Amino acid sequence: MEAFNFLNSDLNAVLITLKLALTTCFFLALIGTPLAYYLAFKSKKVKPFLESIVTLPLVLPPTVIGFYLIVFFSPDTALGKFFILLTGEQLIFSFYGLVLASIIYSLPFWVQPLQASLEKIGKDTLKTSESLGASKFDTFINVIIPLSKKGFLTSFIISFAHTMGEFGIVLMVGGGIHGKTKVIAISIYDHVEQLSFGKAHFLAGGMLILSFIILLTLFYSNRRSIVRVK
Amino acid sequence: MTNLFVKIKGYLGEFLLDFEHNFNSNGITVLYGSNGSGKSTIISTLAGFINNLETKIVLNDKIIENTKIFPPHKRPFGTMFQNPILFEHMNVNQNLDFPINRNKSLNKTLIPKEDLINHLELNSLLKRYPQNLSGGEKLRVALARTILKQSDYLLLDEPMSDLDIKTKARILNFLKMINKKFKIPILYVSHSIEEISQIADEIILLNNGKKVSSGSLSKILNSNSFQKLIGKFESSSVLEGILSETNQLMKITTLDVNGQKLIVPGRPGLIGNIVRVRIRSRDVIVSPVRVNTHITENQLEGIITNIYTEKDTAFSELVINLKNSKINKKSQLLRARITTYNLNKMKIAENKKVFIYISSVSIDRQAYQY
Repeated sequence: MEAFNFLNSDLNAVLITLKLALTTCFFLALIGTPLAYYLAFKSKKVKPFLESIVTLPLVLPPTVIGFYLIVFFSPDTALGKFFILLTGEQLIFSFYGLVLASIIYSLPFWVQPLQASLEKIGKDTLKTSESLGASKFDTFINVIIPLSKKGFLTSFIISFAHTMGEFGIVLMVGGGIHGKTKVIAISIYDHVEQLSFGKAHFLAGGMLILSFIILLTLFYSNRRSIVRVK
Repeated sequence: MTNLFVKIKGYLGEFLLDFEHNFNSNGITVLYGSNGSGKSTIISTLAGFINNLETKIVLNDKIIENTKIFPPHKRPFGTMFQNPILFEHMNVNQNLDFPINRNKSLNKTLIPKEDLINHLELNSLLKRYPQNLSGGEKLRVALARTILKQSDYLLLDEPMSDLDIKTKARILNFLKMINKKFKIPILYVSHSIEEISQIADEIILLNNGKKVSSGSLSKILNSNSFQKLIGKFESSSVLEGILSETNQLMKITTLDVNGQKLIVPGRPGLIGNIVRVRIRSRDVIVSPVRVNTHITENQLEGIITNIYTEKDTAFSELVINLKNSKINKKSQLLRARITTYNLNKMKIAENKKVFIYISSVSIDRQAYQY
């Protein structure tokens, strides 16, 4: 019976992890795609500045991002109130708090591959399309998206995998609450702390195999495109 | 008659573009200038991709406002840029349909897709993807696609810089045909004298962002400002003649240039066609008296209209009018480049009659039907 409970809690962690990764990717598509488009085609003077901001989460310790999120979104700030209005909960220890943290943390993983792929398409393709009578939106839907399918796929897979694997920021913002904010990475940590190596093996091995399969699929389908994430 | 007024003024970095022209011909106008003279900027501005210049564009009494009101996709121009791009995720047929599917207004002079496919020999390419096309094939597809936008004016920005001579010739002929048959005026950007002499009806000379002069092909080619622009070595003139006879055995063709015979190699067209031939000034030999032995295929007569002696070089340039009193046609001018030493020895002067000797070997073999 106890074993079943453990299995149940692990299964819960797996489900939460998948839900978190998918939700994060959904929001990244909405936020990161226009950002990548802007960086690839529009920005000139602000480009280095914007690129630095987008890349920051790659170099900062996750705890720094977590710390600032908790500070800026504490319930007595305007941002914090807005967050509560939007999700019904305060940021800390909530699932959508995790989502927000993951969006920021995985942003470079969405933007960079997509930006590289858009830059490869080039401005001249946009100009050609527009001069043939297609509006900017028409061009985006019917020319850019089909031509950067691989870029989108890469961005999705890497952001998904990266969100699944985060630990520090998830622990800091989410706190690892059973059934709510406890993801696989934290479950493994708990198992190891309790010296339940068998259960840790089960989850860690699963993550290892899954991550390997994801990356293998990616590189196999995408042998020629550049993945600029370090 | 299509009328296009263009005025563009403003700085691009350090570079000042100050251009104004009233295009009122249905023919092919060539915008000629060296690299960096502002040709491409003019095309890009017309197409709506440059918005930080002061512009006034009026097409047939319709004012084309700035890019906010008139974004590129709403402009009545069919633009083709340097190194044309095909959409790699679409096959040739889908590429051709791209502008057709976006054409909301039904134009009066609709060019049928089938016609273009036949004329540009695209039939066997329709199912292929751009990755599997050669440079010339890609260009033909891109050209057809641009024309299928059914625009009021075609803007072609040095579309053929990478092509071999044969393909170029075919496409230039095709452009002339399109221009005549469907009455779409074309603005063609080029810095190749060969291309100009083959297709231009009118030329606009551009230097350093400013219009130097403009006018008909023969007027501009013989103007001093043009000769200055292209440099002494390239100095040349274009003669127009009617193809009157071909000798298949000898593989030569005779042209009637204002009643005088000009023999050129090959077979540049059919009998009755008008053919243009570019002759470099340094290939023209001038004599004050008739040479009584056969030295070259061609012996022409003319009157010297101008002599330009260059003070800082060894050379002089003669402008010779190939006038023929019997046929009262427009005069054709031929330029000859000789040393000033030789000029003095020959004792020739303006308004004097001279004999001109041109070897057919020196005549550009790409003399195209027109």
